[in-house]
Formats: sequence, C-alpha cells, structure tokens
Amino acid sequence: MSEVIQRDTMLSYITGSVESSAESVAIRAINERGREDLEKTPFPTRKDEDWRFVDLKSITKSQFCKLEEANAAAVGDISEHYLPEAMNCRLVFVNGVYNEELSSVEDLPNNVIVGNLAANADNNSVKEHLGTITNYDDDVFAPFNDAAFTDGAFIYVPEETVVRTPIHILNVFTDAEKAFYATPRLLYVGEMFSKSTIIEEHIGLADNQYLNVPVTEFKMFTGSNVHHARIQRDSKKASHVSRPIAILDKNAEYHSYTICLGAKLFRNDPRVIQNAEEVNFTVDGLVLIDGDQIADTHSIMDHRFAHAGSHQLHKVVVNDSAHSVFNGKIFVAKDAQKIDSFQENRNLLLSENGKVNTKPQLEIFADDVLCSHGATIGQLQDEEVFYLQSRGLTEQKSRELLVYAFALESVESMEVESVEKLLLNEVIEYTNRDEK
Amino acid sequence: MLEIKNLHASVEGEDIEILKGVNLKVNAGEIHAIMGPNGSGKSTLAKVVSGHPEYEVTEGEILFNGEGITELDADERAHMGLFLAFQYPVEVPGITNKTLLREAYNTIARANDREELDPLEFEDYITEKLDVIEMKDQFLSRSINTGFSGGEKKKNEIFQMAVLNPVLSFLDETDSGLDIDALKVVSEGVNKIANDKNAIVMITHYQRLLNYIKPDHVHVMMGGKLIKSGGFELAEELEANGYDALEKELVLNGEAQ
Ligand SMILES: Nc1ncnc2c1ncn2[C@@H]1O[C@H](COP(=O)(O)OP(=O)(O)OP(=O)(O)O)[C@@H](O)[C@H]1O
Ligand SMILES: [Mg+2]
Repeated sequence: MSEVIQRDTMLSYITGSVESSAESVAIRAINERGREDLEKTPFPTRKDEDWRFVDLKSITKSQFCKLEEANAAAVGDISEHYLPEAMNCRLVFVNGVYNEELSSVEDLPNNVIVGNLAANADNNSVKEHLGTITNYDDDVFAPFNDAAFTDGAFIYVPEETVVRTPIHILNVFTDAEKAFYATPRLLYVGEMFSKSTIIEEHIGLADNQYLNVPVTEFKMFTGSNVHHARIQRDSKKASHVSRPIAILDKNAEYHSYTICLGAKLFRNDPRVIQNAEEVNFTVDGLVLIDGDQIADTHSIMDHRFAHAGSHQLHKVVVNDSAHSVFNGKIFVAKDAQKIDSFQENRNLLLSENGKVNTKPQLEIFADDVLCSHGATIGQLQDEEVFYLQSRGLTEQKSRELLVYAFALESVESMEVESVEKLLLNEVIEYTNRDEK
Repeated sequence: MLEIKNLHASVEGEDIEILKGVNLKVNAGEIHAIMGPNGSGKSTLAKVVSGHPEYEVTEGEILFNGEGITELDADERAHMGLFLAFQYPVEVPGITNKTLLREAYNTIARANDREELDPLEFEDYITEKLDVIEMKDQFLSRSINTGFSGGEKKKNEIFQMAVLNPVLSFLDETDSGLDIDALKVVSEGVNKIANDKNAIVMITHYQRLLNYIKPDHVHVMMGGKLIKSGGFELAEELEANGYDALEKELVLNGEAQ
C-alpha cells in the first residue's frame, strides 16, 4: 500500500478553513491568491535551510482558530500603552481587528491618511500597492496573512508632506479561551519627498497563546523618508512570524528598528529592496530574550542598483535557555556598483544554556562595493563586572548597567522620547529578571 | 587600619599560589610604597585586598579596622572605604564616568547611612573634584575609560578616588603612563586627598613617584612576599642597586627562604 506522502501545510495547524469575509473586491482577490499559495506550499521543517535552527513546535503542536471561535476577552483600559507624542495619531487593533473607539486620528496635515484598510479599500494607492510589495518565495506565512486578512492599517503621506507626530500602530492581544490567529496588515505609501515616523507595536495583554502573523508593506517613492520602529512585546506564549518589507525608489530612505522582547517564538524576515539608484536604509534589531524564548531574524538587504548606503546592527542578549538565530543576507546585483553596506551582529550571552546561531551571508556580484560584516558572541566580562563592583556597585547592579550599556545604542535610535523611556524600563526589567 | 597576616592566595580553582605569606600593617595617616620586580605579586595583593573573585585566600587573614574581610564581596569592601586604582583600568563602553560615579557615591553613602546626593548636588560635587587633578569636565560624559589615553586612564582612577573619598587606597602603578607634567598634577592631587584619617598604599617601579608623594614606609615584594621593609632610603637603594643586589644581600644574611 503506497500512498503519496504529503507534507503538512500551514492549514494543518488551523482549525476550519480560512475564508475571507472582506467586503472589498481588492482584498478578496489577495485572499484568494493567498489561499492558493497556502494550499500548495508545504510548511517548513528543519530540513529547509532557512529553518534549520528554529524549533517550530510552538506552532506545529497547536491548533489555531479564528478569533470569533476563541472566546477572547474584551479589551479593557489600555491607555497606559498610548504614546504621549502620538495621542491624536493612533490606530488600535485588538486581536487584529480595527478598533475605531480606541483609535484617535486628528490634526494631520492635509490629505494625509491614517486609517484602516477596509475603509480605504477604494483609495487608488491601496488598489495599486496592497499585496504587490510582499515578496517571499516558498513562504507560508505571508500567504497566510494574504489569505486571512480583511482589514489593517493604511498610511498615506502625500508629496512633500512631513508628518511630525509619530504615527502609532498599536496591536494588542487579549486573553482568550482558545489559541487564535491574527493577521495584522500595514500598508504604507510615502509619495515623493514625504516623511514620517511609524511606531508599530505588538503587545500581549495577557499570558495566552496566539499566533500573530503580521505583514507590513512600505512603498517608498522618490526622496521619501520613513523611520519605522517595531516593538514586539507579545505574550510569552505567543508565536509571532513577521513579514515586513520595503521597496525604495530613488533617494528614498527607510530606517527600521525592530525590538524583540516578547513571544515564545519570534521569526522576523525584514526585507528592503532597492528599486532605483541612491537609496539609504537601516535594518537594525535589538533582541532581549530569556526563559525558553526563540528569536530568529532572517533579513535581506537587496541592492539592485548603484549607490546605496545600508546599515544593519543586530544586537542580541540571551539568558537562561533562550535561543537566538540571525541570518543576514546582503545581496548586491551585478551592476549595483558603489554600494556601502555594513552589517554587524553582536551577541551577549548571559547564561550557559543560552544559544546563539549567527550567519552573515553575502552574495555580491558587483566589484566596486564596500561591504563589511561581523559577528561577535561574548559574555559579560568579569573584569568589567569587578571594576564596577570595586567602585561600590553591587554585582547585580554592575551586570544590569553592562547589559543596559550594551542595549543602549539600539534604544537611542528610537527618536521618540516616550518609546526610548519605555524600552529603557524594559531593559532594566529584563536585567532584573536575571537575579537568581 | 589594615592588617594583613600571613596571607596566602591562589588563583581560584587552580593550584597556582601567588601570594605566599604577606604581612603588612597600615595605620591611618600613613603612606606606604610597595616595589618589586614584574610578576612578584604586587597587583595580586591589591586585588586580593579589594576582593577580586579570581583569587582565593587559602591561609592568613586581612583585617580592616579589626574586622576580617576575606569573605566580603568587592562592593562591600568598597562600602567600608577600600579603593583600588587599577594598573590597567577597564574600559566600559556605554556607561559614562558620571553614571558610574553617582551610582557608586550614592551606593556607598546608603551603605553608611549618609545622605545621598541628587543629580544637581552631585553635579556640583564632582565639578569641584575635577579641579583636584585638573581634569576636563568632558571626561564626565564619556564612557568609562573608553578611548582614553594611557595617562588619561590613570588620571581618571585618581579622579574616582577623589570623588569616592576612600579610607584606604591601593594605587597600582598609577605613575606608569603619566608624563612628567601629569605625574606632578596627579601627585599633587593624591597629596591633597591624603590626610591623617586615611591611608594610601602605592605600588610602583620607580622612585620618581616617591619624590612627589613621600612614603612613610617602603616595602619590597619578591616571590609573593614582602621580603624587606624600610624607609625612603630603601627606595633609593633599590633604584641604585636593583633587586638582584637586594636578593643577594638577603641570602647572605640568611633572611631569604
Ligand atoms: N589569574 C591568574 N592566573 C594565572 N596566573 C596569574 C593570575 N593572576 C596573576 N598571575 C601570576 O601571578 C604572578 C603575579 O602577578 P601580578 O600581576 O600580581 O604581578 P605584579 O607584581 O603586579 O607584576 P607587574 O610589576 O608586572 O605588574 C605573575 O606570575 C602572574 O602571571
Ligand atoms: Mg602589577
């Protein structure tokens, strides 16, 4: 009796079918495409090069249902998570669903749009760009989002317009009886010479299990500029698989900073694609994990034209038996001369059982380029600890300061004061958990 | 104030004995100098007294104001007023001098039931201390020793000493790396800090430091022991004849092991 062995798909871990209830024809078309991709793409295993080091158990050992079937708790008062700088520039999504009541968008410059996708489905930019930027081959997660999303955030900044208020995209997740999935979506369109700052947050309000699969698409027209901070504070039982991608026209600048604090499993595949000459971009990361958390970043900096400056500083602190994976790909196409690309992965291991896998991957086909990369894995230096301690600081305080100093550089790139403060507190809390 | 009795110390977890029976007594108001060839154990002595976890006391004791301190952590010893100016000050990127010193000052104050200083008060306090060794205030906001020249690092150690106002300080080769002008400034600073309630133990290879900071006692360390003690003239003798001559003399007198 021989049977064709079929590999599992993403749908194997989802209860019921993924069906769209989106009203917009455009969104439904993307849903349809996503479903087709999902059905034919096998779920990754450790045999796949890109998933070699990651334990996907926290997804494959579960079944995730639609939010409607999860009996999720209603959201309470979440004002402690509002950013004072963005009081009137905030979109709130609860378990992936837009919440108009908690959102607040006022006093934006003329013609700037900060709203939900469903309400803007007829907008030309949405029709033109939604779902066209994501580009992940053989992937199951971006198609899953494609198949399941019905709404999301839409930000549109017109030509020569600067939005000075940071735009806060706040995704919160509430407690629920069953493990559910959410597919947050963000489309950003920056017209020529526009500029803004985006703070995208994911916060688990309780300690429950859920699957968070966000897709963010950034279309950056000529000379546009974005500062994109992503702060992942999902529940420690959640799995979060992110697909953030940006495509850059001439002279565009896209600077992204991903901070990973939460989730049991975090997998992040940021991609920046150069679509014309002379662009600048950043793909920084800060990972602070402990317990049995797994954080895996697989990034691509894709240089396809001449004259790009790109920068990636990925800092990681690992405690207990947490596990960090970093795979940073730098692609430079044949005619993409004069590329100045810098990549550094610095790991601080605080425990014996912590694990770090790091792999820079440079594929360079042009000859006149400057690409540097490096990775270090270190521990807190005993001499540094003793030096501080000999000045009167307790051992705990000394260690805390040293971890703080390690993380500081990444935190200081946030540019929004309340976010920096919040992160510094998170760093202190993280180092205090170290107390045994 | 400090009494070291028959102190033996090894590298933690290994069978390498470095200190082999050190005896030393330091009283309030005194300045001591320890000289000795490379590798004789001078830095190790200073580190063991400050509580470096790399070393283990296997025999003997260290009494500070009558209390045994060998079981105490480095920070607890600092709270009692011990200070070590490192031979090789450690670079700590990302933490500014000011952050360290305020944290250190207030932690020590708290441990001794003294009043802590708020950021503004502390600002005034350290600005005053900068003058002690003519240090520029830009050093306050720089990361600890990071990118400092050799001389600047040594100066920074003495600046920290001025701020923390310890009872007993070990200065481990603070003079090496200082040019003659810096040496004068640093020495003057140390002399200003020295008073009849505190004490200083200087470790040095050179008499030139001792010309600026006059020691009351000079000790010679060799092979993990203080083999000879005397006054300033001992330093002059060493400078003139070297350690070999001293060792021979001791052997002749049957004083060496
Ligand atoms: N952690 C260690 N492991 C092994 N050997 C050590 C360790 N620390 C010190 N030693 C050894 O102990 C001896 C004394 O070292 P120490 O640094 O105290 O010498 P010193 O008198 O300060 O020398 P110098 O004048 O060169 O500064 C040296 O032989 C040194 O190599
Ligand atoms: Mg030494």
